[in-house]
Amino acid sequence: MAMSLELRGIGKSFPGVRALDGISFKAEGGRVLALLGENGAGKSTLLKIMSGDQTSYEGEIVLNGNTVKFSDPLAAIKAGISIIYQERQLMPSLSVMENVFAGELPKSGLGLYDKKKLYNDTKALIEEFGLNIDPNEQVGRLNVAHQQMVEIMKAYRRNSDVIAFDEPTAPLTDTEIKILFELIRKQKEAGKVIIYVSHRMSEIFQITDDIVVLKDGKFVKSLKTAETSEPELIKLMVGRDIGDTYSNLSRNENYGDVVLELKNLTTPYVHDISFKLRKGEILGLAGLVGAGRTEVARALFGADPVKSGEIILDGESVKFKNPRDAINHGVALCPEDRKEQGLVMFRTIRDNVVMPVVDKICGKGEGKGVMVNKKLMSNLADNAVEKYSIKTPTIEKLTAELSGGNQQKVILGRWTSEKMVTKLLILDEPTKGIDVGTKAEIYQTVCNLAKQGIAVIFISSELTEVINVSDNIIVMHNGHITGSVTRQEATEENVLALAMKE
Amino acid sequence: MNTSKDTFFKKHISPLLHHKVFALVLLYIAMLIIFTVWSKLVGANFLKLTTFRNILSSLVVSAFLTIGAGCLLIAGHIDLSQASIGAFASMLMGTAVQSWHFPWYVAIIAALLLSAVFGALNAVMVTKFRFPSFIATLAMASITKGLMYLFSSIGKADGVASNINFSDKVLSFLGKGKIGPIPFNIIVMIVFFIIFGIIMSKTKFGVKVMLMGGNPVAATLAGINANSILFILFILSAVIGGIGGVFYASKLQQSALLALQTNQFTGITAAILGGISFGGGSGGMGGAFVGLLILNTFQIGMSVVGVNPFWVNVFTGILLLFALAIDFISQQRSRKAPTL
Repeated sequence: MAMSLELRGIGKSFPGVRALDGISFKAEGGRVLALLGENGAGKSTLLKIMSGDQTSYEGEIVLNGNTVKFSDPLAAIKAGISIIYQERQLMPSLSVMENVFAGELPKSGLGLYDKKKLYNDTKALIEEFGLNIDPNEQVGRLNVAHQQMVEIMKAYRRNSDVIAFDEPTAPLTDTEIKILFELIRKQKEAGKVIIYVSHRMSEIFQITDDIVVLKDGKFVKSLKTAETSEPELIKLMVGRDIGDTYSNLSRNENYGDVVLELKNLTTPYVHDISFKLRKGEILGLAGLVGAGRTEVARALFGADPVKSGEIILDGESVKFKNPRDAINHGVALCPEDRKEQGLVMFRTIRDNVVMPVVDKICGKGEGKGVMVNKKLMSNLADNAVEKYSIKTPTIEKLTAELSGGNQQKVILGRWTSEKMVTKLLILDEPTKGIDVGTKAEIYQTVCNLAKQGIAVIFISSELTEVINVSDNIIVMHNGHITGSVTRQEATEENVLALAMKE
Repeated sequence: MNTSKDTFFKKHISPLLHHKVFALVLLYIAMLIIFTVWSKLVGANFLKLTTFRNILSSLVVSAFLTIGAGCLLIAGHIDLSQASIGAFASMLMGTAVQSWHFPWYVAIIAALLLSAVFGALNAVMVTKFRFPSFIATLAMASITKGLMYLFSSIGKADGVASNINFSDKVLSFLGKGKIGPIPFNIIVMIVFFIIFGIIMSKTKFGVKVMLMGGNPVAATLAGINANSILFILFILSAVIGGIGGVFYASKLQQSALLALQTNQFTGITAAILGGISFGGGSGGMGGAFVGLLILNTFQIGMSVVGVNPFWVNVFTGILLLFALAIDFISQQRSRKAPTL
């Protein structure tokens, strides 16, 4: 019987979010199927369900004609489904051969393993791949491209019926990409089911036979690669209803002088970044995950080192040693990961609001003395709760007990308290994991801050959001700026095209 | 009338009931009752003044270590070199008084300066070279212990390190003197607990330590300079270890090579028992003090009721596990707390 993988009505909900809804399609053996969609379309969740990583879902998975249900990833591997994730799952301190055969080391009795056979088997596999890697080398010492190839070998040697690749080429150079595509063709000829996830359009047309487009967790369309075109695919990926949320925003119309100018800013992660930002302007940074937007924010905030180029704030060339330095100059950052980088989860709302101004809440509030003024602390927090209508009975509540939207408001309250003089506010994915209603509230809050003359950098992976909230949009790819558009010019199509520009 | 009573209860009484220190005090009272009854059953007497005098005088030295260890634990770090640094400091003090004939205050200042230097080295290892504090201070414990033996053997005719006996009136008062009925060192200890309690809960510095301990990444991104705080804390921990060494030696009128050996982990144990969580970011000096009280009362109570001293160590370990389990469970619960 021919190999195949069929998904029937797959659905999955996370608290507050419907991640997948009624996804059905069939991947045939001997063909390569591309899974296409924007960030957040549900591709990763789907892969996690297929690999047994997510065990609670609706619908069913049919492998080679039989309905299967996996209790854990190992069960999926045993049944013949191997997934190569974007985040490599290697053990960096072990050798290449131990990683490749992890879980199935050749045994030699007495609970030991046959090192000789392990070495030879790995050697043969590396030669089949046409690579030059020592099986004894520690994986952590390989370059990322070779690490990725080890990950691929791991899946390849299992001889699974279904192999899924999630953005496999991101860390690879042309040499390894050629090897990978050759492998994929061989597997295809062997009649296996290949699922290929990538943002690189050229690869989709080079290697795949069928395409399934997802959007906002829903199935959009299934097509034959030979019968479609890049513009058609982009249109399918983005075309969504833009509700009244954005047209109802009350925006700032008056921009002031230039507050921030970057001249050829280069850090270990981003190159040649130049742009200008005026008072009261909202500048969007768009791009795919890993495009370097967060890294621009971190460099601006003194959290990453600057290699060359210049940051000019209020007409003055600045070099920030650390975030404290940046804050003293009026720069504020709401980081991407609220829980890990934004909040001290097991402290109260009050403590989290006063964090950057601890030195200014002593005595009568002039910053003199060593004792903190608890009343002043509470006032600042109370004002934040009122200003942003944070839903909480008291400022003594731990931030861990708040919803995502309210947590984000606590961070906004922190940077806009009476003791702060914020000129530039950087928001990195401010609405990640936040429900639709609160999202609209946050958009309006951002516009209000712009009206007060604060310059805002708005980073988001959600295209609709970034092009509708921002006044101007800069698009990044691979650490470089690939273009910029105004809100009036911006369409999801042209921004996405810039974000994927090689 | 009724409603105002309710709000008063909600505002003042209810938070008290939920406070960790309150739970610890209850635990302590329960422990006192158990030992009183138990001692009666075996024909001994636990509930008398001597017992409490013993408890207090047994905990003075550990108390200093507890304060230092507690401050660092709140910041999410640990100092395993405190006791060794304290021992070296006391050795320097004894030598300075006895062999070099320095006045007592010069000897004490020298001892504390020496501690501060080692504390600063710990801080450099942790903040500059990014060593985990566990490893950096474990190494420092070994280094300072070795240096102390070397120092002690210098100039000795036989070249062998040995204890130094000294006699000095002021130092003797520090260790054994009384003001009225109360031993002087206990007064100093209580003053220290109060001062550090205020520092940790009411000053800018304390607020920053708490926030940094809770999440160092977020604290740094909100403008709290974690490195400078850690620098102060590591020096503080070492100097307080040195003060512990000074009181230890003053009490015995001897700088002993094995000084503070038995206290090495008491400070950390008491701090954790007192509700300072191992991951940092919570707890305070009040809890640490009650933790120390529980630990020492437990050990002395066990000896009053005649439990084999070897078993006392076993039970102390179990007590610590019990405290950690409570900490773990309460964290799990607050993590699962419903969102609004």
